[in-house]
This record gives sequence, C-alpha cells and structure tokens, in this order.
Amino acid sequence: MNKGIAITGMGIISAIGNNVAENHASLINGRKGISRISKIDTIHKDAIMVGEIDFTNQELEGHLGLSPENNYCRTAMLGAIAAKQAVAEANIHDINAHKTGLVSATSVGGMDMTEKYFYDYIEQDTHRKYIEAHHAGDSTQKIAEQLGIEQSLVTTISTACSSAANSIMLGARLIKSGKLDRVIVGGADCLSKFTINGFKTLMILSDTYNTPFDENRKGLNLGEAAAFLVLESETLVKAGNKKVLSYLKGYGNANDAYHQTASSENGDGATLAMEKALRIANINPREIDYINAHGTATANNDLSEGRAFIRVFGENNVPDFSSTKAYTGHTLAAAGSIEAVYSILALQNNTIYPNLNFKTQMKEFQLRPQTELKEKELNTVLSNSLGFGGNCSTLIFSKNA
Amino acid sequence: MPWVSTTRYSFVKKRCLKLPKDHYIKSYCHIQENSVFLNGQPVFENGSSDFSTFIKSAYKHLETDYPKFFKMDNLSKLAFLAADLLLQHEKTTPEKEENIAIVLSNKASSLDTDRKYQRSIQDKDNFYPSPGVFVYTLPNICIGEISIKYKLYSENSFFIFDNFNPVYLSDYCDNLLQNRKADKVLCGWVDIDKEQYKAFLYIIDDEGPILHNTEELNQLF
Repeated sequence: MNKGIAITGMGIISAIGNNVAENHASLINGRKGISRISKIDTIHKDAIMVGEIDFTNQELEGHLGLSPENNYCRTAMLGAIAAKQAVAEANIHDINAHKTGLVSATSVGGMDMTEKYFYDYIEQDTHRKYIEAHHAGDSTQKIAEQLGIEQSLVTTISTACSSAANSIMLGARLIKSGKLDRVIVGGADCLSKFTINGFKTLMILSDTYNTPFDENRKGLNLGEAAAFLVLESETLVKAGNKKVLSYLKGYGNANDAYHQTASSENGDGATLAMEKALRIANINPREIDYINAHGTATANNDLSEGRAFIRVFGENNVPDFSSTKAYTGHTLAAAGSIEAVYSILALQNNTIYPNLNFKTQMKEFQLRPQTELKEKELNTVLSNSLGFGGNCSTLIFSKNA
Repeated sequence: MPWVSTTRYSFVKKRCLKLPKDHYIKSYCHIQENSVFLNGQPVFENGSSDFSTFIKSAYKHLETDYPKFFKMDNLSKLAFLAADLLLQHEKTTPEKEENIAIVLSNKASSLDTDRKYQRSIQDKDNFYPSPGVFVYTLPNICIGEISIKYKLYSENSFFIFDNFNPVYLSDYCDNLLQNRKADKVLCGWVDIDKEQYKAFLYIIDDEGPILHNTEELNQLF
C-alpha cells in the first residue's frame, strides 16, 4: 500500500507566527522566535530561553470568543486556533457532513492551570473549574467542541516528542481502513513550569539559543505551539474536487529497546522508524529530497539522529537536512505537526529552510546541516520526531499521490 | 492454582491437529503468594516475606544476573522476572532479535509507584522528586524493561482492566499473529498494589501444548 493520503488543510500557531503565512515568512527570513520567558514566573527565567507565543490567555480567549466561565487551558486554546485554521483552509463548512474525527496530541494538557491554581483549589472554589481541564483528553475534547465535531472518533495521543507525528499516522490509518472519511490530526502543547522543571532536571535545557547539529550544542529551548492538518479520503477529494496541499506518503513508528528516557546512541529507533516509513511509502532512500530533522540540539538526540541518517542513507548520500527547532524551540507533543506544516511548506515552495545557529561540525561524523535558505525542486520530504524512551516516528510527505 | 492434568493435555493435543490455524500457549508462568511456577510446576517458594524480599530472593534463586533489576520498581520487577523466566525457558536471546510482541495488562496501573512518588513530594520539608522513581510512574515501563533486555523492537501494548480479560487479550494477540505483526506474543497479567500481587504471563506461538482461547486462559489464570 503506497498510495498517499491527501492533506487538504493546515493550521499553525507558534513562536514564529500565528498562522501558516506568518510562519512561512519567518522561516524564509531566518526570524527566530526564541526569547527570555515572559508569561511564566519561574525561578529559571534567567537560565533558559523559550519559544513563546505572544498572545496572553485573555487574548486567546478573546480570539475564540469564550465566555468568562470557560475552563480552557492554554493548550486547548492554542489547539483550537490551529485546528480551526486547518478546517477553514480545507474549505469544510459542515464538519458533520462526513465521518470526521479528531486525533490530537499533547504532553502537558491542562498542567499550566493545575500548577497555577493547585494550592488555591483547597482554599477556595474560584478556579476549581480547571481541575476538570487537567487531563490530556480534555484539551482534545475542547478542540472537538470548537470544531463542532459531534459523535465521532475523538482521541488523544501522548507519546512525548513523537506524539503529533503519531496522531498524523493514526489519522492516516483511520482513513486507509475506511473508519473515517476525513480526520483533523495534530498536536498542541503550551509552556508550563512542569515541562521547564522536568527538562531542567534532565539537564538538557540550553541557557542560550539552541544550535542543532553543532559540536558545541548546549541543549534545547522549549517552545509552545499547535498545528493541525486535515486528511481526507480519496473519495472525498474526488467528489469535492478538492485542492490537495500534499500527500502523506509514508509513516513509521518504532521503539529502540534501549532506555526509559534516552535514545540509543546509534539511533536504532530513528533508523527503524525511517526504514518503516520508506517501506510504507514504497520509495528508495535516494528519492528523499530534504529531511526536516528532529534536531533538538541536545547532545543525545543530534548524535543519535545523525548516526541514523548515515545508517539509512549512507555517509555520503545523506540528503539536505535541517532542524527548525532554532526557530520555534522544541514544542514537544506538537513538534511532529509543526514540522509537518513546515515540510509541506517546503514542498509547496521548493525551499529548504536553514538550520539556524550552526557553526561547528560535530566530530563524530561529517554531516553538515543546510545553513542557508536553499531553493531546489522538492518532491519528497521526510520528517522525524524522536521521543523519549526511543519512541521514534517518521513521516514522509510528497507532491504526488 | 495453576495446574494442567495429563488427560487434558492429550485432549488439547488432539485438537491441535484438527485446527492448524489456531494459536497455542507455548508455556506460561505464575508469580503469586510468594511462589513462582513455570508451566504449573513450582520452581521457587519463599514462605513468609514481603514482596521486596521475596522478589529479590526469587531473582537470586533463578540466577537472573541482570543488575538493572535492582533499579526497577515493584511492577517492573514482577513483570521482568516472570517474562525472563519464560523467555529463558523458550531459549530466547537478545542476539536472535525475534519478533515477539508484548501485550500486558493489569488493574492497578502503576499506582503502587505513583503513591511512592507522591509521598516523596508531599512533605514540604523533605521534598525529593526522584527522577529514578518518576520514570516508573507509568505501567508500560515494565514492557520497556523486558524489551531492553531482550532487544525486542516489536509491537507492544499495556491495557488496564478491572479484571483479567482473556476475551480482549486473545482477540488482540490473535490479530497481531494473523496479520504477521509478530511471530509470537508474550502476553498476560501483572498487577501489584499494596503488597497484593500476581503475575500470569504466557507465550503464544504457532504451536504448543495448550490451545490459545479464553476458556484455557481462564482456567490457567
């Protein structure tokens, strides 16, 4: 089975733009969204940099027209904004006209509100409404509610940094198996002390701009973002004579049986995931024109992922690659869909976005990311999302079905 | 108590010949009430001790020799030891890189460790959120521990049910085998909460002494 699944809409909100056009403008102009943190009062504020979205929660509530009694966490609001953009681009007016599902990824869910009001809950009931917004599934339900999806498959995936890639993959499989006619897939994660402190404990946060695939990389910058795609069945695309942005051609998910959190040094999981995706797409590694790497700028990831590139493509045949994490920060559960949008933009514009902040080649191998904006005919793009515990996923997008 | 009579054994064998498309329980093990059984036969017993002491003594007795064992939480120790006993018995080695799926289930999820972690952050004056404990606050980490030792890059799932659910598990595993997602499945129940524990694991294969169906599973459980 190698027929691609049509992508008919996409939406995004990230530190480098509030919609697809703004994100694209930032990508081609090398404008990164990394700064000191302003919206969360953390003791680590001088020790970290993040990719923050400008809007305050109040502004997001305004955009969505939510009543003051709402209990939307920031993840749900970001997700709803991106998902609505995707549905609008796909020109969907009656969402319940066909079997339409939602698969949304998140790692923090409503943790932002929980950590803000936790001690308050016991004392008074002002913010207790957020207790119900805590779990990951609630943000998905809120997004479904905003899209008006009634009685359909609505589900949440939380597999750390490969979450959104896995939700895109599940969506494609739901269409292939005929369970759904169309599905909105993607992920959302807001910044929270929970993630900042967690990653701080792992000692993988950089105190300056992250530098993917650089010998002197110091770790990642966390980011917040949401992005969604609309996947539609061949029948619906034909019947509606719909414009197809690109096709999801292949996907693969693997574990690397190595460690609870770290990825194996030799990139076993990433290698397996890329090989599986190439097999499903039924294409040769040589047909990959560009890789949007996971490239978090941690010591572990970039070494492991680079070695996996060499294993899959051969040391001298690794395609042009870059990580866009220097623009957005690592947006965790949303990363797979953020980078799916960037991969599709790359295809649409025949453009490879630069790997910012790269200076020194890593000593373990001869790989250099693409550091300048490059225009070239692109037909097939591979995107990696490598998660904790070696939960690794690869998506392959192409211009043609 | 797990036990298979010779009569039933031969009866099952006859059925095997008739239904070549079925799957079979190759071997199974139990860990409960301070005892370890392999295919119904006792292999270790340590009368009166708490879980930690018991599982450590079982580890020593079975000559498991895997130092990472001592870092594991109780659920992982239980699942790992049961799986290791079965996989050793089946002569599985990491070098063979077999495609064995792992499908486990329980009732208490990782509550035993969740509580332990909660205690470590509850006391404001003695606040220590240990990453070493935190990583085990998910039930499927025990699948990871088995995968790491045996280099299994295979399909895996962890289900949480009110009770042992052979209907769901056997459907799920038969499906994995029928669709060639896996060549064998390591399946079963591993549950621990507040000193109450039980492991019942089995390997499903193309051949074996016991037919893989819900009646047999209920019987063995």
